[in-house]
Amino acid sequence: MKKFVSVTLLLVLMITAFSVKLTFWTAPNPYQEEFWKIMVTQWNKQRPDIQIEVQTIPAAGSSEEAILTALAAGNAPDFCENIFSGFGAQLADIGALYAFDNFGADFTKLVQTRKMTSIIDKWAINGKHYVFPIYSNPMLFWWRGDILKQLGYSNPPRTYSEIYDISKKFADGKKKFTMQVISGRNWWDRWYDFITYYYAATSGKSYIDTVKRKVNFGDATGKKISEFIYTMFQNKYTAVELGTNPFYDGTILGKITGPWEVNWAKETFPKVIPNIWISTPPVPDDYPKDKPVYTFADSKGLVIFSTCKDKKAAFEFISWVFSNAQNDALWIEKTQMPPAREDLTTNPVFAKYMEDKFFKAYSSNVAYAVPPALIDKTIDIQQAMTTYLVEPLMYLKGKPDDILNNAVKEINKILF
Amino acid sequence: MSRMGSGPVNKRSKFGRKERIFGYSVIIPYVAYTAIFWGYPFVWMLILAFTKWNFFSKPRFVWFDNFLKMFTDKVFLQIILNTLNFLAYLIPMILISSLLFALALKKVKFGRTFIMLSFLVANVSSGVAYSLLFSNLFAVNGPVNRVFDALFGVTIPWFSNPQLAIFSICLIITWKFMGYYGLILYAGLQQIPQSLYEAAELDGANKKVLFWKITLPLINPSLVTVTVLAIMLTFGIFTEPYLITGGGPMQRTTTFMIYMYDTAFKRIDPSYATTVAVVTALLSYGLVTLIRKTFEREVSFV
Repeated sequence: MKKFVSVTLLLVLMITAFSVKLTFWTAPNPYQEEFWKIMVTQWNKQRPDIQIEVQTIPAAGSSEEAILTALAAGNAPDFCENIFSGFGAQLADIGALYAFDNFGADFTKLVQTRKMTSIIDKWAINGKHYVFPIYSNPMLFWWRGDILKQLGYSNPPRTYSEIYDISKKFADGKKKFTMQVISGRNWWDRWYDFITYYYAATSGKSYIDTVKRKVNFGDATGKKISEFIYTMFQNKYTAVELGTNPFYDGTILGKITGPWEVNWAKETFPKVIPNIWISTPPVPDDYPKDKPVYTFADSKGLVIFSTCKDKKAAFEFISWVFSNAQNDALWIEKTQMPPAREDLTTNPVFAKYMEDKFFKAYSSNVAYAVPPALIDKTIDIQQAMTTYLVEPLMYLKGKPDDILNNAVKEINKILF
Repeated sequence: MSRMGSGPVNKRSKFGRKERIFGYSVIIPYVAYTAIFWGYPFVWMLILAFTKWNFFSKPRFVWFDNFLKMFTDKVFLQIILNTLNFLAYLIPMILISSLLFALALKKVKFGRTFIMLSFLVANVSSGVAYSLLFSNLFAVNGPVNRVFDALFGVTIPWFSNPQLAIFSICLIITWKFMGYYGLILYAGLQQIPQSLYEAAELDGANKKVLFWKITLPLINPSLVTVTVLAIMLTFGIFTEPYLITGGGPMQRTTTFMIYMYDTAFKRIDPSYATTVAVVTALLSYGLVTLIRKTFEREVSFV
């Protein structure tokens, strides 16, 4: 008996002495926090040798600010979730991240198990994978089905011409506008208008060539999109300012949004919800009918910092969480956001969530949702897109072709 | 300084040991506070302004590169113009409104404290909260425009026309600071002896003359104080444009603070952000000095 006790004691001592303790930062969001607390509690019970401590990203102006200051101060976590792919690219650029490719076959196997082989392609930064995608929010259009029905339509519009057609019947240029064409004037709004339209019209081609550091949208497709935005403003089918909640009070018929709006809308405008039609972003008239329409993905993932005490241990935990589809089901339950996997509509594990029309619409588009171009100068590029492209189009300052050409020239200057 | 050390010199100190300990214990918290929260960041600021750093690597010394970059930076130039534009609206707006507030406060007989406190509420409320409130209030279909639409059949693009956007933001800031600056001017007004007015009235001065020849010159110190505070305020505008206009339209409401914040934390270039901060500080200091040199008069009541 004495021997047994001392052996156990020795074992426990050894485990505590050799066990790794890793710090993991999660999004300051109660739903995600709950998910990760459950995961980590289960893991810590199973693996006394790798203990993980969950902390939420400290309150600051933004998660970016908190992470950067922690890096500067030398107290960054070992790994962290809620990393936006664009920020991931910046972190990789300064050498703060550890690439998942270093785990070799184990990483490939995880990607296959979680059914994200084609998703992961779009997340590569200079050919390497620094961000492990957790969820992917495809941006989709919501339409006022009730009003469209009154106008004699049974489907949401698909092409630019169909939108013009509806506009002629509905928009009066004063209190009624067809749709929100431009999302706002902040640099990040470009993801939800021009870049989304470009992904839709090109089957997900990147708007910037990150290798050659050149703008791609100066092509024929870019011209069609500029023409569309210009036409919508010129004919007063849309307006610079549409006011607060224009979609719900019937000022506009359509707008782009992500799944995060669903719960809020259900609570705030329960009467509008049943009449909402969901569609992919509008495409030029000549876009093939049988081809899927791509869209922008507002997506976040997980990174391991290059300062991590035990990278292999961190990866073991990540593999353990994402190899089990049940965990992704729990994620949906807690957060209502579609995990970045391609089998959401086919895997029986997720079947019960497909009953909700919103969740179904968003999950079926995960495979066609493309994250932003992963480049270090995102903010300057998109600021320039706002100043030289979107604002001149909105205020009708010049011909759409000239505006586009000038914008491409200015942005190429930033890139080079 | 030599008296601080121990040794024979100490014995000649005119203070006893106990007194010296007491003295140091009184100043140490302040010195420590200043060293940590002022001295350390100041040294870091100097290091950052002359180096290239990205939060992660070791700072690399680059001499005056950051300062030179500023001369070719179109955004920085735009922000200087924006700031002048803000000043052109904000200074007259804030001076006139707070002066009117102070003059009105002098006339009030009852509930003066209550009125003062009511106006100060604006000053202590959260920037984020009232920015959201105002952006809804002045939205194209917001309550303000609905009234305009009902009365005159027009709506005003409060935040989408560049000049109007600047004006609207100045309006919000004026609303916030009117009560506070009004109190400073009110204190100035209170200091003017009543006998001066009485003497002038005996000499046949009317109300207009009283205001222009007595009140205004004699509250010069308070007016200059308010102007200086308002200038420093303008150089520090952040929350309102950041939340309401996002620095647009056409980058016309982008301010130094927004640029610094985005450059440090979104463009990951803290060195350049620091350089912008240094130059901004020098610019505002220069402007304040100019204003004081031009307008400040010594006022004494005999």
